[in-house]
Order: sequence, then structure tokens, then C-alpha cells
Amino acid sequence: MIAQLVVDGLLTGAVIALGAIGVTLGLAILRFANFGYAEFATVGGYGALAAVLAYGGTGAPLGPFTFGGFMAVALAAGLAAAGLMALIGDWAVFRPLRRRGAGPLVLIFASFGLALVARNLVLLAFGPQPEYYSREIQIAVLLGGVRVMPDQVLVLAVAGLALAALVWLLRRTRIGLAMRAVAENPALAQACAIDPEAAIRATWLVTGALGALAGTLYGLTVQLRPEMGANLLLPLFTAAVLGGVGSVPGAVIGGLLVGVAENLSVLVLPTSYKAIIPFLIMLACFLLRPKGLFGR
Amino acid sequence: MTKRLLIALVGALPLLAFGGEARAQAACPHKLGAVIPLTGPQGPIGKPIADTAQLAIEHVNAAGGVKGCPIELVLRDDTGQPTLGVDAARYLVDVQKTPAIVGVVGSGIALAIVSSVTTAAKVPMVSCCAVTPTLTKMAEDGKTEGYFFRTIPTSRVFAVAHAVATTDRGYKNPAVIYVNNDFGSTLLRDLEKAIAALGGKIAGAVPYNENQPSYRTEVNQALALKGDALILIAFSQDGATIGREWISLGGTQNLVLHNTLRSQDFINAVGARFLGKAAGIDNAQVAGPSVDAFNAAFKAKFNRDPVGPGLHTVYDSAAVTALAMQQARALDGTAIRDALRLVQDAAGEVVMPGAEGLKKGLDAIKAGRKVRYVGATGPFGFDKNGDVSGPALVWKIDDGKLATDKVIDLEQMAALFRRIGY
Amino acid sequence: MTGIASYLVFFVTLASIFAVVTLGLNLQWGFSGQFNAGVVGFMAVGAYVYAFLTAPLQHGQVGGLHWPIAPAMIASVLATALVALVIGRLTIRLRTDYLALATFGIAAAIHQLALNLEDITGGGRGITSIAKPFQGLGPEGFALAFGALALGLLAACHLLLQRLVRSPWGRSLRAIREDEIAAAALGKDVDRLRLTAFVLGAAPMGLAGALYAAFIGYVSPYDFTAIVTFQIWAMLIVGGSGNNRGAVLGAFVVWALWSMSGIAVVHLLPTRLQVQGGAVQAILIGALLIIMLVFRSRGMIGESLHSSPVLQDETAAGRS
Repeated sequence: MIAQLVVDGLLTGAVIALGAIGVTLGLAILRFANFGYAEFATVGGYGALAAVLAYGGTGAPLGPFTFGGFMAVALAAGLAAAGLMALIGDWAVFRPLRRRGAGPLVLIFASFGLALVARNLVLLAFGPQPEYYSREIQIAVLLGGVRVMPDQVLVLAVAGLALAALVWLLRRTRIGLAMRAVAENPALAQACAIDPEAAIRATWLVTGALGALAGTLYGLTVQLRPEMGANLLLPLFTAAVLGGVGSVPGAVIGGLLVGVAENLSVLVLPTSYKAIIPFLIMLACFLLRPKGLFGR
Repeated sequence: MTKRLLIALVGALPLLAFGGEARAQAACPHKLGAVIPLTGPQGPIGKPIADTAQLAIEHVNAAGGVKGCPIELVLRDDTGQPTLGVDAARYLVDVQKTPAIVGVVGSGIALAIVSSVTTAAKVPMVSCCAVTPTLTKMAEDGKTEGYFFRTIPTSRVFAVAHAVATTDRGYKNPAVIYVNNDFGSTLLRDLEKAIAALGGKIAGAVPYNENQPSYRTEVNQALALKGDALILIAFSQDGATIGREWISLGGTQNLVLHNTLRSQDFINAVGARFLGKAAGIDNAQVAGPSVDAFNAAFKAKFNRDPVGPGLHTVYDSAAVTALAMQQARALDGTAIRDALRLVQDAAGEVVMPGAEGLKKGLDAIKAGRKVRYVGATGPFGFDKNGDVSGPALVWKIDDGKLATDKVIDLEQMAALFRRIGY
Repeated sequence: MTGIASYLVFFVTLASIFAVVTLGLNLQWGFSGQFNAGVVGFMAVGAYVYAFLTAPLQHGQVGGLHWPIAPAMIASVLATALVALVIGRLTIRLRTDYLALATFGIAAAIHQLALNLEDITGGGRGITSIAKPFQGLGPEGFALAFGALALGLLAACHLLLQRLVRSPWGRSLRAIREDEIAAAALGKDVDRLRLTAFVLGAAPMGLAGALYAAFIGYVSPYDFTAIVTFQIWAMLIVGGSGNNRGAVLGAFVVWALWSMSGIAVVHLLPTRLQVQGGAVQAILIGALLIIMLVFRSRGMIGESLHSSPVLQDETAAGRS
């Protein structure tokens, strides 16, 4: 039972971790808590769905998985949709606000408003019913007494690959360097001939793509619905805060911890209280270690 | 510039809002209010319910309308937020002067509106979907003053149906996953009693909260109960997620499903090949000409079968209210409240759904004859608390299509109620 | 009363209740820069305490205490202040966006507790038959008298808060908001002042919750979801934070937009499209807020004498 709960927690945690990386980068570089962040997951997930609907499915199932090769194209479409939304949001709303020197409240609040618009546009376009990329159900396989599904293992692998790609981007590319510099000190970065606006645009793109990836993987293993982003918000922020703002490995470990803790909580609390767990972790973290596990 | 725009906007809205009142006082059309969630978590259920309410009104109008006028259904979205539900009801009653309100899906919203608007304003509410027994309690305590009616049976009928579907199939020890709200927790209590009376015992019950990202934990907990079946009391979206995870994780396919899952969407989401042994329950819809009449009319309009929660009951709530409006000597709430019982006269001419059926009824009432509305849910009658005790049915899935397995009629239901000791 | 008048009385009553909440939030954010994203949690505490104290016995255990209305209302305000004191002590040192996250989570937790503590809150069934004042006056009399009560309490809150923020205490508060370190250097006890503002700001939220319960006569967890917090914030931002008159005006304007855009949907969209109306409504409201923020972030009436805090909040963002 405990092993099963831990494994389940890690699998849910992997999706939370991907989103939490986006949140943590946003907090560090854009310098406000983007309450609309989780809508990237919704828009990305539904963007991929639009591609799947247009193609008429995901193609013949590949090996043990529920979906076919077209899923890769659909994922790209989802990433593009969320990336576009991120750039439009920045251009139309956040950049004008930054120019006027608006504080974090205004930005947070604008992100609330933007989230409301995005979520309802998805609702209008796709309707309120849950959607799936593929109607196939996988029967779990027993691995050492633990039930897992091939799709979920793949999700874990994709999350790992995305993480590696992100680390490469941040450490080995010019734009990654610029993003880190702006996170450290925007004024100093500007003095070193780094264009903060370009770094901010890149951050929006990267975080939007991460959110979309999380949303698509979530849709692959659970389901898509217009409120899915809103329901993920608290776990995502908890993971980012727990890991330490700005720390990519922290966000990953935070996400996994939140996933595992949520699942293990049922050993001591009725399941109906499960939704409070992320919040309790967050509060404990604020009180005991406000910088998070890996914060500087 | 933006300030002026905003002021203009704020200024213009009341005009829009109250422009309606001039029309409200004109002779035609007569208005009927409806409060239904069209967006928010209940939106997926609410939208088809609203469409069906409109269908009932179309039929009434095709049948010549009420008191010489067509009826206009004034529909407001409560978004699932009680404050907005109350605001909507207040607006319908005060500004639109609707003499009755139909629809009202969520129990929480129905309770808020009954507590603060309709009873005080002496406007009957004929709910299609609020199942909470709290409203029965309020009626018994005289808090609704007879202005609350519903066309859906209370949750006890569902509990009995679940117990019958479970024990009929020889399941002795079912696990339960139920939605952690008013509806789910009440139903669970009634269900424990009903199953015990019919010779089974619940292995354990796992509550779940709506709109969670994943239900693996709950499903794993329920799996650990090692029941010989699963009774799933869930709303459509979460129900699909839970059903899929249950099957994926190797749970038994001995499923007993709630009426909210009686939809092709659910079958498609989970996969027909896993549902061969699944059964489910729903209220009423005893077979019969009145049910067929509704089903045919629905199919003609929407090109699909009327499966899904609240469709039959909302048709009845709108149709019976329209008949009562015709019957009432004046279009005021109290007269309609009393007329709602008159159009259920046991000795009256039988009136059925559909434009033709309703025309017969509306004409009969005009001619002063007594009528008895037999609805989309079959025959029903309001008791002294405005509740209906309805028959129930057990459904199954044959080749991926919903099929009726068994009907528990009114007499059997009454006998079961006695046996269980409700 | 004619229909319109009756609806307007109802509207003014609800808007006044929201305005009381907005005034409380204005003390927390507008004057002391504390980002409370869990407003609805404090309303819930007030509403449930009032309901629990006044409702008749139901669901076996809940209620049955039959407190008179006035003491129950005072008790619900005190209880909310107490809860705010506990929460405030835990979170007072958090930077702005962390405080927002923590309070957002607190409201989510309170919602879950309301749903799960069946013996106290009735769980999802809620609490019915909550005592309403003025029951001897008939429905119209009740509507008018309650409207007057809500307006009166709003006026009283406004007066009280206005005096408070104009006092030396209020000036210290704003000094902390603008520059915490400088204020501390001048000998202000920063934590204590902020905590007091947080608690004093939460009290009206509890009062409004109790008023809402007394007005409707029924509470359930579905009354207190995150969207209400969003609505209250919208009221403060549109009206203009840092200005009590702005907060009140914002409450009336935003609630009018919120409820009347639903009415507009009824009138403007053809019947067949009305089922899409809710989504259109939400999109319009979201867009309006963004437009407001981008083009007039001070709100309709901004803070007087000072420019708005939201424009000069870089210092607040920088501290941690």
C-alpha cells in the first residue's frame, strides 16, 4: 500500500514538477506570482486536443501506449498555442504595465483577469465536457507489487527530458544566461548590455511551454477540462515555494514531494481532506524555511 | 476616456436590465423564470437541462400557449454560485415578474433561493434537480409555505435503487466511492440502511472532493477495501476520471453507477468493453406512452437520445408549471401554487408531453375539465411537502448502448421504503 | 414597492454587504499593503459562527443554541478577528506575494473544513433556518429594514475606518506601507501595526459574512469559493485602493456589472445562444478588469494626497 502510494505520488508529482518549474522561473524573473500561470496548462492541453481533433485521432497506438505517433505533433501544437498566449499576454497586458512601473499586485491581478478570459475562451470553444486524446484505457501492470501504467512511465521520462533540455537552455545558451542575469539583478543585467525585455519574453515563452507540456501530459494521463488549470494552481505554487523561488531542481523536488505527500496523507487523514495538504506544506514551509529547500 | 466609457457602460446596463419591465407588464408573452447553471462546475449538466426546458416551452407555445399568450422562458445562469442564484431569482421575481421559477439544479442554490426569495415573495419554485432531504425537512417545518415543489424524487429513491441493483446481482459487500457534498453524504447514509435491509453490507466508503486533478488515491483506497463490487456516486466529469482509473488499476468491473453517469459520454470515456457487467440506476422513466412521447420529441429536436441527469425532470417541471399557469385563475404565485396540485387530478384526463399532448391538456383546462399530467418521468404526484416519490429503474449497457434492465414501480418502491424503514 | 424598487433594495443590500468587506480589505491592502487573497475565508468564519449560534438544531448536532441576533453578530465579528489574529501572527513577516499565496491557501482550507466538519457546519448540506432579523415586518418590511441595516452598518464601518486612517495610527500605517525600514527607524513597531491592521481589516469581513447569513437564511460551503475573493478584489481595484469612498463605490459598480451583465445576456443574446452566455460574461468581466488595470490602475477614485500604492510598490516587492 505505501509503496503504491509513493509511486502514485511520484507520477502525479512529475506533472506538478513541470508546472512548478515554470512558476518558479516566473517568480524569479518576472517578479510576480502569476495566478494565471496554470491556464497555460489548459490552453496547451486543449491546443494539442485541437490538433488531435483536426487529424482525427492520434494514429495507431504505439507499443504499450494509448496514443499514436501524431501525439508528438499535437504536443508541438499545444506548446505553440501556450507560447503564443504567453507572448500575446505579455505584449498586450504585462509589458504596458511594466512600462508604467506597476507593482506586483497589479500584475497578479491582471493575471487573474487574463486567466478568467483564457479559461472561458477554452470553455466557449471546446465546451464543458471532459475530453481525452485517446479513449483507450490501459490496464495497469504490476511491477514489484506496484500498479503502474505505461503512459505514466512515459510521462515521467518526458518530464525528465524536458528538465534536461531546460537545464541546457539555462546553462549553455546566451538567452539562458540573460534570463538568469535578469533574475539576479535586472539593473545590473541591463548595464551589461543584456536586453531585459528579450529575457522576459524568453521567460514567458519557456514558462508557457512548460505549462503546456504539463497540461498535455496531464490530459494524457487524466483528462482535459476547462477548469483543470485552476485546480492545479495551489499544488503548483506550493511546489515552487517549497523548492525555493528560482531553483529549478528545487521545483522538481518540490513537485515530487507535494505529489507524494498528498498521496501519503490518506494514511493519517480522511481522503476528503487531501485537498488541504498542499496548503499545509506551503504554510509549514513559510514558517520554517521561507526561502524553500533550495532557495538562496 | 476610459472613465467616461465605464460610466457610460454602468449607466447603460440598468436601462438594459429594466427595459424588460415595460414588456413584463404587457399582455404577451407570459413569462416563466428559470435559474440553471450554464457555466462553472455544474455547466456540463446544466446546459442540456436548459435546452430541454426550452424544448418544453416550445411545445407549450406550439400548443397555443397559456391563457392566449405564448410563454417566454427567462433563463438566468447561476454559475453554481449561490449569491448569483439568489440575485437571479430576485431579478426574475421582482423585475421580470415571473410568477414561478423552474430549473434550479444545485441543492445549495435551491436552499438559498427558497430561504431568501421565493417563499417570501410567494412564488412557487418547481425544481428539476435538487434532491436534498433538507428541503423536505423545511417543508415539514412549514418553512416553505408550500411554495417548493420538485419533479425529481429525493435521494432515498436513489438509495433504494442502488441497493436493489447491487443485491439483485448478488453483490454482498460493495465498496462505495461518493462525492463529498450534500447529495453524496446524504445518499450514503440512506444507502447503508437500504443495503443492510436487503441483505448486504457496505465494505467501506471513500469520499472524494469535486474537481481534483487526480483520483488515484481515492481509487486505491477503495481498492484496498476489497469489495465485490463498486457503487460509484459521482458527477459526470469526475465520474469518468474515477471510472477510468478504477478500471486501469484493476478494479472489479462489477460497477453500480449513479444516474449522473447515465450518459453516452461516460460510456465513451471509460470504454464499453469494460462496462459489460456495469449497471446503473436512475429515477422514474417507467416505460410508457408518456415517456416515449418525450423521448421522441427530444430526439426529433436534438437528434440524440435524452440520456443524462435532469432532462426528463426539467421537462416535467416546465410543463407542469405551464399547465398550472393555464389552470390558475390568475397568473400570481399563490394561484399557481394551488393549481400545481389541481393539474395532477387523479380523475382527470391524461395529458402527456409533446406539443400535441400539451395542447390537449391546455384546451381541456380552458374548457373547464380536470386533467392529470403524466410526464416525461411517467406518472407522478406531489405530496404534501412538494416532493414526488417516483419509481426508479436499473439500467445496463448492452453493446455500448444504454438499456433498461428493470423498473421498480411505485408500489414496489413503497414496499421497499417500508421494509427499509425510512 | 414596485418590482424595480424592490430589486434595487435587494441590490443595495447585497452591494452594501460586499462594500463592508471591501472596506476591510482596503484597510489591509490599501492602507497597510498586506495582500490578503483569502478574503472569502474570513467571510465564511463570520457567516458560519452566526449560523451556528442562531440556527435551530439540525442534522443531529448542529445549532440549537438560539442566540439572539445582536450578540450572535458581535460574536461572529469577534471570532473572525480571533481567527485573523492567529493567521496574522503566523504570516505577518511574509513578503507580499507569499502572503497572497498563504491566505489563498487558508481560504481553500477553510472551504474544505466547512465541507468536512459535518458536526459544526453541516458539511455540504449547510445550515438552514438561520435567524433573520425583522421577521415581524413581513417580506417587504424585512427587505427595507434589512437594506437600511446593511447601509447603516456600511456607513458606520466607513466612518470608523475613515477616522482610523486619518489618525496618527493610520499615518504610521501608510508610512510602513511606503517604506518599512524608514518607519521602523522612526521607532514604529512595524509588526504590531501591521498585525493590528490585518485583524481590524478582517473584522468587517466577518461582519459581512454574518450579515449575508442573516439576509439569506442559509449558508453552505458553495457560498464561499475563491471567485468571491476575486470579486471583492475587483471591487477594490476598480474603486481605487487606498480610498475608502473608492472601495464603497467599487463594490457597488462591480456588483452591478457582475449581476447586470447576466441580465444583459438574457436580453441581448438570442435564446438559443444563452447557454453560452455565462462564458461570454466571464470573458467580458476579465477583459474589463485588464483594461481598467492597464489604462486606469488608480481605480475610479484613487488615493488622495498620495499617488496610488499600486504604482509605487516596487519597494514592497523588493523586501522579503
